[in-house]
Amino acid sequence: MRHFIFWILLLAAAPLAAQQTLTGRVTSSDDGEPLIGVNISVKGTVRGTTTDLDGNYRIQLREGDTTLIFSYAGFERQEIDVAGLTTLDVELVVVSTILGEAVVIGYGTVRKRDLTGSVSSIRSEDILKTTSLNAEQSLQGRVSGVQITTVSGAPGAGASVRIRGVGTFNNSAPIYVVDGVILDDISFLNPSDISSMEILKDASATAIYGSRGANGVVLVSTRTGNRGQARARVDLSLEFGMQRLERTLDLLGGRDFAIVSNEIRPGSYNNVDAVPDTDWQDLIFDTAPMRTLQVSVAGGGERSEYYLGFGHFQQNGIIGRSWYERMTLKMNNRYRITEGVSIGNNVTVAPFRQRIGPDLTFAAYRAQPVLEPYYPDGTFGVVYNVGNPLADLSYSNNFRNGVRAVGNVFADATLGAHLSARTSFGVDMSFDQGRAFTPAYAVLNPDGTTSQQYNEFSDLSKGNAVRNTWLWENTVTYQRATARHSLNATGGFTMQRTRSEDLRLSGQNILRDDPDFWYLEPPYIVDESNNINTLFSLFNGVDANQFYTMMSGLLRVGYTYDEKYLATITLRRDGSSKFAEQNRWGTFPSFALGWNFGQEAFMDRFDWVSAAKVRASWGRIGNEKISYLDRFARVQSNLAGVFGNPDTPVPGATYGKSGNPDLRWETTTQTDIGLEWDLFRGMLTGELDWYNRLTDDILVELSTPGHLGNGQGQRVRFNAASVVNSGIEFNLKWQHSLETVGYSIGLVASTLRNEVRAIGGNSGIDSVLIGGYLANGQPVTRTKVGLPIGAFYGYKTDGIFQNQAELDAYPHMSEAGIGDLRFVDVNGDGRIDGNDRTYIGSPIPDFLFGLNMDADWKGFDFSLSLQGQIGNEIFNGKNVVRPDPYNFEGHVRDRWTGEGTSDSEPRASFGGYNFLPSDRFIHDGSFLRLRSVTIGYTLPQRVTDRVGLQRGRLYLQGSNLKTWTAYTGYTPEIGSYDVLSNGIDSGIYPIPAVYAVGIQLTLK
Amino acid sequence: MRPIRPILPILILLVSAPACEDFLNVAPQSQLTQAAFPSSGSDALLATNAAYATVRGWHYHSGGYPILDIMSDDAYKGSNPDDQVNTLGAYDRFSFTATGDGLDRWWATLYQGIIRANVVITKVPAIAMNTTLRDRYVAEARFLRALYYFDLVRAFGGVPLVTTTEPPLRLGRATEADIYALIIADLEAAIPVLPVRTAYPSGDLGRATKGAAQALLGKVHLFRGDFDLAEPLLLAVIESGLYDLEAEFIDANGVDGEHGVESVFEVGAAENDSPTGNQYANTQGVRGTPNRGWGFNRPSMELRAVFEANDPRLKGTIIDIGDVIDGITILGDGTTPDVTTDGSGNVVEMETYNRKVWVPGTSTSTQFGHNRRLIRFADVLLMAAEVLNENDKPADALIHLNRVRERARQGNAGILPDVTTTDKTLLRDAILLERRRELAMEGHRFWDLVRTGRAGAVLGPLGFIPGKHERFPIPQNEMDISQGALEQNPLW
Repeated sequence: MRHFIFWILLLAAAPLAAQQTLTGRVTSSDDGEPLIGVNISVKGTVRGTTTDLDGNYRIQLREGDTTLIFSYAGFERQEIDVAGLTTLDVELVVVSTILGEAVVIGYGTVRKRDLTGSVSSIRSEDILKTTSLNAEQSLQGRVSGVQITTVSGAPGAGASVRIRGVGTFNNSAPIYVVDGVILDDISFLNPSDISSMEILKDASATAIYGSRGANGVVLVSTRTGNRGQARARVDLSLEFGMQRLERTLDLLGGRDFAIVSNEIRPGSYNNVDAVPDTDWQDLIFDTAPMRTLQVSVAGGGERSEYYLGFGHFQQNGIIGRSWYERMTLKMNNRYRITEGVSIGNNVTVAPFRQRIGPDLTFAAYRAQPVLEPYYPDGTFGVVYNVGNPLADLSYSNNFRNGVRAVGNVFADATLGAHLSARTSFGVDMSFDQGRAFTPAYAVLNPDGTTSQQYNEFSDLSKGNAVRNTWLWENTVTYQRATARHSLNATGGFTMQRTRSEDLRLSGQNILRDDPDFWYLEPPYIVDESNNINTLFSLFNGVDANQFYTMMSGLLRVGYTYDEKYLATITLRRDGSSKFAEQNRWGTFPSFALGWNFGQEAFMDRFDWVSAAKVRASWGRIGNEKISYLDRFARVQSNLAGVFGNPDTPVPGATYGKSGNPDLRWETTTQTDIGLEWDLFRGMLTGELDWYNRLTDDILVELSTPGHLGNGQGQRVRFNAASVVNSGIEFNLKWQHSLETVGYSIGLVASTLRNEVRAIGGNSGIDSVLIGGYLANGQPVTRTKVGLPIGAFYGYKTDGIFQNQAELDAYPHMSEAGIGDLRFVDVNGDGRIDGNDRTYIGSPIPDFLFGLNMDADWKGFDFSLSLQGQIGNEIFNGKNVVRPDPYNFEGHVRDRWTGEGTSDSEPRASFGGYNFLPSDRFIHDGSFLRLRSVTIGYTLPQRVTDRVGLQRGRLYLQGSNLKTWTAYTGYTPEIGSYDVLSNGIDSGIYPIPAVYAVGIQLTLK
Repeated sequence: MRPIRPILPILILLVSAPACEDFLNVAPQSQLTQAAFPSSGSDALLATNAAYATVRGWHYHSGGYPILDIMSDDAYKGSNPDDQVNTLGAYDRFSFTATGDGLDRWWATLYQGIIRANVVITKVPAIAMNTTLRDRYVAEARFLRALYYFDLVRAFGGVPLVTTTEPPLRLGRATEADIYALIIADLEAAIPVLPVRTAYPSGDLGRATKGAAQALLGKVHLFRGDFDLAEPLLLAVIESGLYDLEAEFIDANGVDGEHGVESVFEVGAAENDSPTGNQYANTQGVRGTPNRGWGFNRPSMELRAVFEANDPRLKGTIIDIGDVIDGITILGDGTTPDVTTDGSGNVVEMETYNRKVWVPGTSTSTQFGHNRRLIRFADVLLMAAEVLNENDKPADALIHLNRVRERARQGNAGILPDVTTTDKTLLRDAILLERRRELAMEGHRFWDLVRTGRAGAVLGPLGFIPGKHERFPIPQNEMDISQGALEQNPLW
C-alpha cells in the first residue's frame, strides 16, 4: 500500500512552470449545470487539469500551448484553440449514442465507450414500469445474464438473484452496493428512490470488489438533487392494485375423490353422489389489495443539493391474516463546505411491519374434498392427516416488525489538478422483532374426541435480531488526460466490521390469549403440572453468517489511447476474519482490453455504424460467504445428561463437529469477450458477450466419514469442488421515432450451461452432494461431476405393468403390481433398488429471455414486458410426499384401470410405490410470462398548466397477468435460496397477478 | 483553489496497517474451541455427561426406528399401510439395501458416541482433579464406548477402530476380533472402578454401574458363545443382591419402575421433545386417538400367539384397540385398518401398539420422557439361565428361569407352571421362548435369533437370507465417502 501512495505523489508532483493562466467554467449544454471533474489537457503534452466541484478550472499555459482538449464521460470531446485567451467558458454537448452514456462502476464512473468490462444498466424509468414488490424484482426480464426468481408470493417475500448462473454451493446471491455501501440485499429500498442500477458481470468489472464479487455485483445509485435548482422539484405518485390468484390447480372434487378412494379401499364411500364437494383452494385464496404512495422533493442551493423521499408500501396476502407494510425515508444531501471540499450523506431508514400468515397452499392441496370445512354448529371440521387449513389460519398470530437503516457520510476533496480523495463511512443496521402466538385449541372429530389438530397449551415465542455493519472506505483518484492519452487510477483502502446478536424465547401456557398478555414475564407463563413458571426455550447468540471483519486494499488503472484503445488493470487484496491467519489474505487481479474499432478510419465507409467496440477481460474474484465458525473445531454445549429419579437434566458439553482450519478463499476465474454496437445513430444498439466462469476451491460442506464422530447429517466445510458456468448473453434494442409515434423494442437473452467439474477432490470425502429434501426427508437432488448443480435424481419410468406376463418379465420391486409404474433397471443387475436411481432432470434453464416493448403516441404511452425461460425441469415435490390419503391432482382421472387404459398414469393409490421419486414427477419448466402491461396517459400541457402541475400521468398496469407453460402448478417460477434445492415445487405460495391503477404528478 | 495535502489518507493507512491482524481476529462467540477443553474437573464432568447424550438420541435406537423388532417375527412395520412403506417397510421384508433408510444415521450416531467417550478417556486423565471422580468418569466413558462398539460389531462386523478424538479421514475396517478385544478391555477396566448401583447419590441414577458393566460384558461373551466367561459375570450381578424383579411386570418398563430395582442400565429422559427427551417411545406410541406417536413397530400376530394362555404379560406387551389404559380408551388411527385380512379372510394384521413404551399423560410430549431399559434384571436372569444350561448346570438354570416365570404369573398358581426339564436342548428352547415372551418388543429378538443360529429358519419366510442378513450392509454413504477404504459385507 505504501508504495502505491508514493507512486501517486510522484505523479502529482509534476513540474509547474507557469507562463500564463487560463481560467473558466465548464457546463453541460443540456441543462447548464456545471460539470465536475472534466479532463482538460493541453494538446500534444501530458499536462492538464480537471474542473472542480463548481465546474471551474485553472490551467497554466506555456509557450506554444495552443489547443486544449476537454473530455468528460458522457459528453462529446472538444478541442478549442486558446491562443491568447485568459478566460474560457465551455459548454460540453451530451453524447447522443448509448456508448457515450456514463456508467457507474465500482468507486467511480466511466463512459460506456471507455468501459472494458461487461456491465448492464437499468434506469429508473424501466424500474418503475412494473409494479415491483422490491427493487430486485424490477430487474426481472430486463437484463441479460440475470435470473430473478420470486421465492414466494407471500407479502414481503424476497427474490433469488443469480448472475451468470450458479457458481458455488453457498450463498449464490450477488452483492449490492448502494451509493457505496456494500450490502447483502436491497429489499428495504423503495424502487422509486433508485436512479439507476448497474449489474457488473465480468471479472474486469467486479474485481474491484475482489473478495465478494464472484457472484456479480449490483450497483445501485439513488436519486440526488441538483445544485442551483432553487425551485424544488416535487413528485407525487400513488398506485392502488388488486392481487388475485392467476390460476388454480386442477385437483379432484368430492365425487371424483370418492370414486378413486373406492377403487383403493372398496366401500369407503357408499354413495359417491352424496359426498360433500369442498374446494379448499377457493376457501383459502382471496383477492387482496396493495398500495404504494411516494413523495419526493429534490433541489439545491448555491452550495448544496438535496433529495428527500418518502414511500409507503402496503400489501395484503392473497391468503388471509398476512400483510406487509414498509415505510422508507430517503435523505441524500451534499454540501460544498469550502473550495474543493464537499461532504454529504446518503441515508435510508426503512421501518416495516409484517404479519406472516401460515402457508396453507400445501394443506389446501392435500385436504380431502369430501370433508366439510365446518360442522353444522359452525366449529371447524376435522381434516384428517392434514389439519383444517381454515383452523390453522384462524389461530395464526405471527408478527414481525423492525427497521433497517443504511447510509453513509462522505467527504470529497480535490487535491490539486489531478488528484482527488474520498472517504466514506457507511453503516447498515437492522433491528428485527418477532412474536408469534398460538392459542390452545382443538379441532374435534365428529364424535367429539380431539383430532390430531390441536394445541394443548398456548404458545408464545419472541425473537429479537440485531445486525450491525460499518464500512469505512478511503479512495484516492488520479486522473490525467492529454490529447491522445488518458489515465485514470483509483487506489483505496477499506475496512468492514459486521456484528449480530439474536435473542429468542418461547413459553407455554400464557395466562390469557389477549395480545396484552403476549409477554414472557414469568407471572404470565403458567406451568400447570409443576405450578412453576418456566420458559420453554431460550437462545442467545450470534448469526454465524453475520459476524466477521474484513480489510482490503484496491487499485484500478484505466488507460485510453486516442479514445480507441482501452486497457484496465484491477487489483484487490482482501483479508477476512473467516480464514485462519495463514490463509487470510487473497489477491484478486483482472486485466481487460477494449478497442473502439468503430472509430477507425477503415470503418468510415460504414457510416451507419455510429460506434462499435470489442472488449475482452480475464480476472479472478473471491468468495467467502461462509459462517465465521467453519474454521474452528468447537465444543458443543447442549448435550445434557439426564440422571436421577425424577429424571433431571444436567449440563453436558463435549467435542462438536470438527472444524477446518485450512479453509481458504474460493476463487472464480472468469473470461469474457464482448461486442457492443450502435447503429444508425442510436437506433439499433446492442451487446453480445460470451463468458466462461470457472469456480475453484468452492467452499462446500461435505459429509465426512461416520468414524470421525461428527454425527448423522453433519457436514464439514472444505475447499473441495469446482463448477463451470458458461453462456452467451445478448441485448438488442431498436429505438425509433416516427412523426407522432415513438417506440422501442428490446430483447435480452442468455444461454446458460452449468456443470460440476469436481466435488470432494483430494479430501477423501464424498463426491456427491445430496440435497433437495422433501417434507418427508427424502432427497431428490444429487449433485455430481458432469451434471448441473442440484440435478434431479430418481427412478426412470418406462410405462406401466399392463398384465401379469409383463410383471413377470421385468425386474420389479416386491411392492409393484399390475397397473403400477415400471421402473427402469438402470444398472442392469436384474433387480430394482436404490442403485437404479439416476439423473432425471435439471432445474437450471438453458435459455432465459425477456422482451420489452414501449411506444408512445401523443399523450399515450404503452409498454409491455414478456419474460421466460426454456429448458429447465420442475420436480413436483408436493405430489410425492404422501404418507396419508390426500386429495389427488387431476391427472388421476386418466389412471390405469385395466389393461391398455393408460401407459403413464398408474392405478390409483394413496401413496407408496408409485410415489417414489421418479421422472413421473418431472415436468418441463419452460414458460413465457406476461410480466407487465402498462397503458398511460400524460396530461397535455394546457391542462397541467391550469391545475398548477408540471406533469401529470395516469396509468393502468397489470403484472404477472398470464403465464404460458406446460407445468400444472401455481407457477413455473420456483426459486430457492439453497442452490441444491432449486426447482422443487413443495407447495409454493403462488405469485399473484396484480391489476393496478396509478397516478404520477410533478408539481410546478 | 488551495489543494489539500493528501496527508489524511496516508495517515489513515499508516495508523491502520499494524492493527490489521488484530482487526481480523474474530473469536467464536459463546463457544469454546476444542483446544481449550476439557481443562478442569467441571469440564471433565460436562464431557462425561455429554457422552450419555448419545443414548437418548433418536438415531441411536437403530437409526431412528426400532428396526430390530421389525426385522423379527415379533413386529410389523406399523403405522398406516402407506407410511414409510418403502423405507421402514424394507426392513420388515428384508428388502433393504446398503442405501437403506437409517443405516447411515445409526452408524454415524454410534461413532459420535464413541468420539464423545474418547474425549473423556483420552483427555480427562491429564486433568488435575479429584482422582476418584476422574477414574470414575473414565470408567463411565469406557462402559459407554463398549456399549456403542457392541452395537456396531453386532450389526456390521469389523468396523473402523477409533480410540482417539481425531482419527484419520481414511480408515479401513478392523477385524471383528479387534473390536471385541477393545470392548472386553474397556469393560474389564471399568468393572473394578465403577461404583455399585447404591453407591451413587440418587441424583446420579442412570450412570454406568459396576453391575451394568458386568451384565454388558456377560452379554458380550454370551453373544460370542463364550459361556464360561459369561457365567461368573452374570452370576455376580445376580448375587450382588442389588437387583430384583419388579413386583408388577408392567413396571419393568413403565414409569413407576424407572431406576427401580429391576433396572440395570436405562436411558434417562425427561419430558418434552428436546434436547432432554427421547423420541424412542413417541416413534412407537399409539397413533390416532389418543395421539401418543406414530405407531411404528407393531406387535405381530405371531407374537400374540407365543404367549401361554392367560399370561398377564400379553397385556403388558400389546395394546389392542378398545383397551382402556390409565382411564383412556385406545381408539387408534383412522387411516390404519383395525383388521387386515388376506384373500381367504384370515386375519394377517391387527391394529396394535407396543404397550412397553406407554407413558401416562395427556400429550405426545410425555412420551419423550420414557426411559428405555437397555439392560434389565429379567434379561440378566434369562442370560444366566442360558449360560448355566450351556455350561451343563441345568438345575441352576431352572432357578433363574422360573424366577422370571414366577413374577410373570402374578400369584396366579393356575398359569405359567415352572419349567422342570433338565434336558439341555429342551431347556435351551424353553429359555429362548421365555426370553421372547418376557423381553418382546425390547429390541432383543433379532439378535437372539442371529446368535443362536435360528434366524434362517425363523425369519426365512419373511425374506431373511442366511449368510447375508446376519449382518447389515456397511451404509452406502460410508462406502462412497471412503473411496475404497471400506469393504462391503458378503452378499451385500
